[in-house]
Amino acid sequence: MEFIEFLTELTTYRAVLRIMTPLLLAALGGAFTYHAGILNIALEGQMLFGAFAAVTASYYFGNAIAGVIGGILAGLLIGLIFGLFVVRFKTDEFIVGIAINILAVGATTFAMRALFGVKASFSDPGIKPLIKIPIPGIPSDSFLGILIGNHTLLTYISLLLVPLLFILFYYTRFGMHLRATGEHPEALETAGGNTSLIQWIASAINGVMCGLAGTYLALGYLSQFVKNMTAGRGFIALAALLFGAGNPFKIFIGTFVFGLADSLSIRFQSLGVPPYFALMVPYIVTIIALIFVSARQKKRYTM
Amino acid sequence: MNWFNTNLRDILVGRMNRFGQIISAIILAIIIGALIIYINGDDPLVAYQALIISSLGSSAAIASTLSKSTPLILTGLCATIAFRSGVINIGGEGQLYMGAIAGAIVGVYITGLPAIIHLPLALIVGALAGFIWAAPFEWFKVKYGTDELVTTTLANYIAILFTTYLVTNPLLKPGAPLGMTRNILPSAYLPKLVSHGQLNVGFLIAVSLCVILWFVFFRTTLGYELRMVGSNPRFSRYIGISVGFRQILAMGLSGALAGLGGAIVVLGIQHRFIQNLSPGWGFDGILIALLAGLNPLGVLPMGLLFGILKSGGLGMEAATNVPSELSEVLQSIIIFFVAAEIGVTMFFRWRNNQKVQVEESLKMGTLDEGVFVPSDQSSFSDGEE
Repeated sequence: MEFIEFLTELTTYRAVLRIMTPLLLAALGGAFTYHAGILNIALEGQMLFGAFAAVTASYYFGNAIAGVIGGILAGLLIGLIFGLFVVRFKTDEFIVGIAINILAVGATTFAMRALFGVKASFSDPGIKPLIKIPIPGIPSDSFLGILIGNHTLLTYISLLLVPLLFILFYYTRFGMHLRATGEHPEALETAGGNTSLIQWIASAINGVMCGLAGTYLALGYLSQFVKNMTAGRGFIALAALLFGAGNPFKIFIGTFVFGLADSLSIRFQSLGVPPYFALMVPYIVTIIALIFVSARQKKRYTM
Repeated sequence: MNWFNTNLRDILVGRMNRFGQIISAIILAIIIGALIIYINGDDPLVAYQALIISSLGSSAAIASTLSKSTPLILTGLCATIAFRSGVINIGGEGQLYMGAIAGAIVGVYITGLPAIIHLPLALIVGALAGFIWAAPFEWFKVKYGTDELVTTTLANYIAILFTTYLVTNPLLKPGAPLGMTRNILPSAYLPKLVSHGQLNVGFLIAVSLCVILWFVFFRTTLGYELRMVGSNPRFSRYIGISVGFRQILAMGLSGALAGLGGAIVVLGIQHRFIQNLSPGWGFDGILIALLAGLNPLGVLPMGLLFGILKSGGLGMEAATNVPSELSEVLQSIIIFFVAAEIGVTMFFRWRNNQKVQVEESLKMGTLDEGVFVPSDQSSFSDGEE
C-alpha cells in the first residue's frame, strides 16, 4: 500500500529527477567515449574530482557559478589526462580507468586534508549551493510546476541533453564519425576521418560531463564534500550506459529506474527499515536490472 | 639452436625491461611526490626520510610493514588469479569484508574448540565466505553475459553496508563506542611472530600462497587450463575445456583469497571486526596485480612495496604535515607510468626508432645519389658460403 502511494505521489518523481541528474550527466558523458570505442570505467573518479573542484571553487570564490566552472575545468583536465593515456599512449583503458578511480579517492582526500584540515568531510557556510530556478510561465503549484519546475540549471540541462545528444549521435556528421570510430575505425580512416582526434574530443566531453555530474552531487543537495562521496554512482551510471548501449533515451530510462530506487531507499528509511539495508537498494536494483537485461538480450540473440 | 638463444635473450630482456620500467616509474613517482610535498609546504627530504625510517628503519618498523603488507598480498593474489583467467573481479574489497565478518563470527561464537581446530576453521570459513560472495557474479556472466566488472564493483558497497549493519546491530559488542564485534576467543588467534607488534603467521600464509599459486598456475594442468581460458577462450572451448566452469571457479578462488585476507586481518591483527575495516585493500590489490604483471610471485615484492608506502605514509604524516593519502596518490602514479610504459621502455623505444630512422635515412641517402647500394651486402654472399 505504502509502495503504491510512493509510486503515485508527484513529489516522488520530483525527487527522482533530482537524484538522477548526476547519473544522467555522467552516463551521457560516457556515451561519447562508448560510441568512440572506449570503455570508460573512470566515470566514478572523474565525478569525484569534479565534486571536489566544485566545492573548492565555490568556497574560495563564494559563488556557485565559480563552483560549476571549477567542476567543468577539473573534469576537462581529467578527461584530457584520460585521453593522453588511452588515445596518445595507447594504454589499456581498463588500467587507466582503475588508476583514475583510485587516484581520485586518494588525491581528493589528500587535498581536502591539506587545504581544509578536515579528514572525512568538508562543509562550510561559505560553500554556495546551486540555485533553483523556476521555469518562467509555469506556476510552481501546477502539475508541471511541481514535477519539473524549480530545479537547478544542471537538471534542466541534463534533461535537454537527452534528445539533443540523440540527434547528435544518430543524425549528424559528427555523430556518424563518432560511432564509426567505435565500430569501423579502419573504414573511417580510409574515408579520411581522424579517429584519434574524435577519441580525444570524446574523452574531453566525457570529462566535462562527469565534472558537471560531480558538481551537482556536491552543490546540488547539501553543498559539502565527503570523502569518496560518489559511492559507486559512477558505476551505476556505467550500468545505465551499458544497457542503454549508448542510446540517450535508453540511458534516460536506466538512470530514471536507478533514481527511483534511490528515492525508494530514502522512503524505506522513514518507514523504519534499518538504514544500512535501505541504502543497499540502489546497488541491488542496479545488479538485478543488469542481470535481467543481459538475460533478455541473450534470449533475443539465441532465438 | 639459434632460435633458443634469441628466445632466451628476448625473455631476459623483457624481464629486465619490466623491472627497469617499474623502477623508473617509482623514481618518477617519487619526484612528483616531492613536488607535491614541497607545494604542501614541507621539506621533501625530511618527509621521505620519515617515510623510510618509519617503514624500514628498525626491526619493529619492518615487522609493522610486513604486517601491513599481508592483506595487500592476498588481495593482490585475488586480482591476479581472476585477471589471469580472463575474469574481471573488482569485488575484492567486498569479498574481504565478507571473509572478515565470517572469520569474526566463527572466532567469537563457536566456543569450546581447541586452537588447532578453531583457527583453521575460522580461516576456512572466511575464505569460503569470499568464494560465495564472488562466484555467483561470474555464474551470471557465463550464463547471461552480465558484465561482472559492474556487478562485482557494486557488490562491494552492498558487502560494506551489510557488515556494518551486522556489527552495529545484532553483533554489536555491548557498550562499544562504534560498530564492532566482541573479541574473538584466544583459540582463534593467529600466532604472533614477534613479541611486540602485529606481525603474525598470516604473513607466512600470504607468502606461501604466492609460491603455491605460482606453482599451480605455471606447473599444473588446472593452472594451464585457467591461463588458457584467460588468454584464448575460443581455443580452450575447441580443445574441450569447459570455459564457463573454469571461469566461475577462478572467480570463486579469487574471492576466497580476498576473504582469507579479511579473516587474517580479524584473527591476526584486530582480534575483532571493526566497522569500515579496510582502507581500500581490495582496490590496492588490483594495482598490485597489474604491477606484478599478473604473476603470483611478482605479487610478493609489489605487495611489500605498497606495504612500505602505507606504513611509511603514516610515519610521514606523524613527522610532517603531509597527509598519509600521499601514498595512495603515489601508487596510482606508478600504475599510470608502468601501464603507459613511460620511462625506461619509452626511452628504449625512442632510441630504437632513432636507430631505424638513421638507417633509413642512410638508405635514402644512397638512393639519392642515384646509385642503388643494398644496405646489407652480405645477403648476396649467403648462399655461396
